[in-house]
Amino acid sequence: MASTVIGAGITVEGEITTDEDVVVAGTVRGKLSAKEGVAIEHGATVEADVVSGSLVVAGSLTGNVTAIERVDLQSGARVVGNVKAARVTIADGAQFKGNVDMEV
Amino acid sequence: MAQARTTTAATTRGAVDAREARIGSGARIRGRIQGEGDLVVEGHVEGDLALRGDLTIAEGASIAGDTVEAASVTVAGSLDAEVTATGPVRLAASARVRGNLRGSAVSIEDGARFSGRLDCEFDLPPELGGSSRGEARGRPAARR
Repeated sequence: MASTVIGAGITVEGEITTDEDVVVAGTVRGKLSAKEGVAIEHGATVEADVVSGSLVVAGSLTGNVTAIERVDLQSGARVVGNVKAARVTIADGAQFKGNVDMEV
Repeated sequence: MAQARTTTAATTRGAVDAREARIGSGARIRGRIQGEGDLVVEGHVEGDLALRGDLTIAEGASIAGDTVEAASVTVAGSLDAEVTATGPVRLAASARVRGNLRGSAVSIEDGARFSGRLDCEFDLPPELGGSSRGEARGRPAARR
């Protein structure tokens, strides 16, 4: 179970900082920083730069991403921004516009 | 089917109720939180909060802002804001609250620390009518 859950009806405008997991099912605008995993659920809207251990996106994300481990863009995801992570997957059906930097 | 699989995988640790909202104990939010549904705060929030559901501030959690609005507010942690609730406001024994409280009912448990004004509409029982303020003041005095 995730430590922080931004529910479907909730909007956060500002900066979220945590050393645990974050699941976003609602809306986040600003900045999102988590030491562990971040999950952006189907139907969620994130307009923020994301820094995290790992990131899974099934919803909509506008912003630059830096993940220490991996970034997974799942089918249905819509991502506009640059992605920087050691491992990146983009599933069939995911929409993506931006640069990928795998630090090679 | 595909939809359900996506959601489960995206949460990474099993299904999450989309109506659930929680600010974990390791989290800090600087900014505004608004929306529908209930919210449990276990971490720290610096900013305003406007909810159409119930707000719970757990022990060890803190909210510091100008205004907090919710259907009901339950405080076991620290709260520094002007509180407006359409329903009840409850301060548990571990609560530390600074600011004015407005609600349909306000309860303060023994041990809670509160500094501020209470704004709460209620009918006083007749035996307390004589020493009260407001509407109830006139009637018992006239009866005597």
